[in-house]
Amino acid sequence: MVVGDIATGTDVLVIGAGPGGYVAAIRAGQLGLDVTMVEKNAYGGTCLNYGCIPSKALISATDVAHNAANAEDMGIHADPVVDMQGMVAWKDGVVNQLTGGVEKLMKANGVNLMQGTAEFAGENTVRVAHGGEGQGSESIEFDSCIIATGSRPFEIPGFEFDGEHVLSSREALALDEIPEKLVVVGAGYIGMELSTVFAKLGTDVTIVEMLDDALPGYESDVARVVKKKAEALGIEFHFGEAAKEWRKEADGMTVVTENEDGETSEFNADKTLVAVGRQPVSDTLNLEAVGLEPDEKGFLQTDDQCRTDVGHIYAIGDVAGEPMLAHKASKEGHVAAEVIAGEPSALDYQAIPAAVFTDPEIGTVGMTQAEAEEAGFEPVVGKFPFMASGRALSTGHSDGFVRVVADEESGFILGGQIVGAEASELVAELALAIEMGATLEDLTATIHTHPTLAEAVMEAAANAKGEAIHTLNR
Amino acid sequence: MVFEFKLPDVGEGLTEAEIVSWLVSEGDTVTEDMPVAEAETDKAVVEIPSPVNGTVREILADAGEMVPVGNVIITFNVEGEDEPPIEAETETEPEKPAEAEKAASNGESSAKGGRVFAAPSARRLARELGVDITTVVGSGPSGRVTDQDVRAAAEGGKDGAQAAAEPTTEPEAEPASDTTESSGAQAAVSMQKPADREKTLAAPATRSLAEELGVDLNAVPEVEKREGQSFVTPEAVREYAAAQTEAKQADVASLAATSKEDERVPYRGIRRTIGKQMERSKYTAPHVTHHDEIDVTDLVAMRSDLKEEAENRGVKLSYMPFVMKAIVAGLKEFPYMNSMLDEEAEEIVLKKDYNIGVAVATDAGLMVPVVKGVDQKGMLQVSQEMNDLVGKARDRSIARSDMQGGTFTITNFGAIGGEYATPIINFPEVAILGLGAIKEKPRVVDGDIVPRHIMTISLSIDHRIIDGAIAAQFANTVKNYLENPALLLLE
Ligand SMILES: Cc1cc2nc3c(=O)[nH]c(=O)nc-3n(C[C@H](O)[C@H](O)[C@H](O)COP(=O)(O)OP(=O)(O)OC[C@H]3O[C@@H](n4cnc5c(N)ncnc54)[C@H](O)[C@@H]3O)c2cc1C
Repeated sequence: MVVGDIATGTDVLVIGAGPGGYVAAIRAGQLGLDVTMVEKNAYGGTCLNYGCIPSKALISATDVAHNAANAEDMGIHADPVVDMQGMVAWKDGVVNQLTGGVEKLMKANGVNLMQGTAEFAGENTVRVAHGGEGQGSESIEFDSCIIATGSRPFEIPGFEFDGEHVLSSREALALDEIPEKLVVVGAGYIGMELSTVFAKLGTDVTIVEMLDDALPGYESDVARVVKKKAEALGIEFHFGEAAKEWRKEADGMTVVTENEDGETSEFNADKTLVAVGRQPVSDTLNLEAVGLEPDEKGFLQTDDQCRTDVGHIYAIGDVAGEPMLAHKASKEGHVAAEVIAGEPSALDYQAIPAAVFTDPEIGTVGMTQAEAEEAGFEPVVGKFPFMASGRALSTGHSDGFVRVVADEESGFILGGQIVGAEASELVAELALAIEMGATLEDLTATIHTHPTLAEAVMEAAANAKGEAIHTLNR
Repeated sequence: MVFEFKLPDVGEGLTEAEIVSWLVSEGDTVTEDMPVAEAETDKAVVEIPSPVNGTVREILADAGEMVPVGNVIITFNVEGEDEPPIEAETETEPEKPAEAEKAASNGESSAKGGRVFAAPSARRLARELGVDITTVVGSGPSGRVTDQDVRAAAEGGKDGAQAAAEPTTEPEAEPASDTTESSGAQAAVSMQKPADREKTLAAPATRSLAEELGVDLNAVPEVEKREGQSFVTPEAVREYAAAQTEAKQADVASLAATSKEDERVPYRGIRRTIGKQMERSKYTAPHVTHHDEIDVTDLVAMRSDLKEEAENRGVKLSYMPFVMKAIVAGLKEFPYMNSMLDEEAEEIVLKKDYNIGVAVATDAGLMVPVVKGVDQKGMLQVSQEMNDLVGKARDRSIARSDMQGGTFTITNFGAIGGEYATPIINFPEVAILGLGAIKEKPRVVDGDIVPRHIMTISLSIDHRIIDGAIAAQFANTVKNYLENPALLLLE
């Protein structure tokens, strides 16, 4: 009911409580602003509820089982039994602990929490529709607004998510039964991560991918390490094939794919996971009311202070553009809140690291050799294979390598690609090096703990300088 | 967007000016109308304001350089334009790597590949101080931008002159490893003055090398800062030693050649302007100088009577206002003395304003502040205004407009000493009155020799316009007023 309701006023309205929105709300609260958070679903957004955290929880849990079952080399013989319901319950516990924490933190920083779906009603007003019959709606008037509505999975025609046969990543992460046969559409990072989880749980996984390699966006030698391991886990790849349609069968479903030449193939499965990318949630906000128009992909354009074309409206996280990563969303949340509070904040990072939690993991940051060349540097690269790492061998995970890209003349670290165990952690050292303007010399001259995987970063830097001890120099 | 700023016409007819000093350095943030440089024109040092909001991209003229009007002296990166700053011409526009795309697409950086080699803390500091970090030349390892570099860039205004005098490297030049090396080398050669620090960091080997070469480490130009202290390398020590030897040899050679050291001083700025002006005046207007002496005994008495009262009113009363008033009386009687020759129109312009210039010797040379409308102002007001203007001329804070529009000039050579002189007309005026010192001299009054206060005068005229007779009559009028100062009451 619109009649008779009185608008609530707030300094800063944040729409969406994902890692972008909740960080912005907390930071704005810390800076003394009156903040209102509107979330239609669950605090923590995609990341905590249906993305990073539950997927990583399942990946770690399945790794425990998988590693135990595959440790004969180490003299361990085990046949673990996975209780899928127990595993999912544990994962949900992790998620609940985190989302509860986020809620507490927001409250502790004075953020007014409001459940509902926000929609712009004017330049300084949103209407919040509360979920459910008879819950009504109310208006909020704001001085500044931060749009942090995130993204949702793409659907492909003919494969509408139904939660039973056709799943999005969100539903796949909530399965409490291990499917026997799974078709995964899309070999991007989400498809690859979840394929690995299910393959390790014993599912027959078939990946169909329109392009001709897995993990597009990563260098082929990096992707190759992951693909090889995936194949060793029994995952079957079909490249150059697009999902066309599916039929229900008595024993599940048949997925029909088509290649460039129009030839079709059929795959039988219990379920199909569609992971072909994500699209920004900008179409449900009635943006016309504030005079904002997203670009053709649906992203809101922002400047280096997260400002949209409408000065008092900010956009952060997935809705504000690639890369769609939680830590990028959080960083932008920080900046937006500080800018609104009048601080001289801006996005001036040099690189955003990215991690893929496949087996083995991928961690990348900054430029590849090709990108460095394009940018006008004369790059020098150094590489160190985990096969030569004492620590890697002693954990039984020696696939992969560390590569460091630096500017030859100055020695500045420009980027790094790591594929191997703990790559997601190791990449942090290179990210720090890039932000600090560290040189190859700085990396090699820093004493690294022995025996650790981190030594590989030091060794790769030494290799770039032609001074490696534990490998032959390039 | 890059904005090219041309040296503006800072005064009428001006064709060139000397850049006295830069008030900003490359990388500084400027706002519209903020002074960026001081230029010396005709007879004043004027501040040149920034035409835009932005950051200083490149300074294209050295301090001390004469620059023709219309030459580009400085370029700015202008704010609020989408385009990123133009890359150094030799470099192709780099493709932005995916990760750095955000930062780069914000026009944030002109550095290669959108990279700025600086710690996040330094980048934040730059934002806080309003410095565009992409234009700061780094002094850290391999040219990394440090906190100190950012601070120095922010304070650029203060040591701007120095910074601009030696624009070491192009800001866009790659963050090359030899930045520090080459600036160190430059400093070693160009710096005659030793660095003179109290503490210098150096490796032990560098210290022994310095000892060997007889070099004081504290005098070696710093190569970089380490933990806030100056650090020098063996190369810098060697370069410094070589520069010292070279300088000594050069000294010896020049001594041998001339036995006395001639000093060469640039003929520039105010000195040159004065010179040109004098030359033009002397060779355009045929000068004739009329000399006379005035018995100012009564004036001396009158002034000493009035002095105290004037002081009570906060005005220091000199003889000059009396002279000015007497001159105005003379000019009114002889309007050609207050004229100008419009050569082009072949007309003599009889001025109706009585704007009296007073030549003032300053450290920089002769300046002529002009008291306007002397005919319409009281003695005290004239006195006050003149004192103010003279003071401003001395400390060179005087505005150009205060030195323009004169119709007649007085020069008080007697303040320094001398009876008579040949004043050169302040062209395009047609006459100038030089005053000698007032001295007590024996004079015959009614058959007795008595001490009298005597002032000598030298009146130069442009003989094209004024004949000797007019000059003499004008001088007589002035003389009459000054000998009978009570007449001034009628003026
Ligand atoms: C399976 C999976 C795995 C992932 N793994 C990683 C990973 O390992 N590392 C990583 O960095 N990223 C990962 N991501 C991506 C990461 O989850 C997102 O980049 C991140 O969550 C984006 O944060 P955000 O704040 O922009 O938006 P979201 O987290 O999407 O939050 C947006 C919130 O806004 C709410 N909302 C939307 N519209 C409205 C409205 N009108 N009114 C009120 N509320 C609204 C939504 O309910 C949601 O809670 C993964 C994603 C998925 C799906």
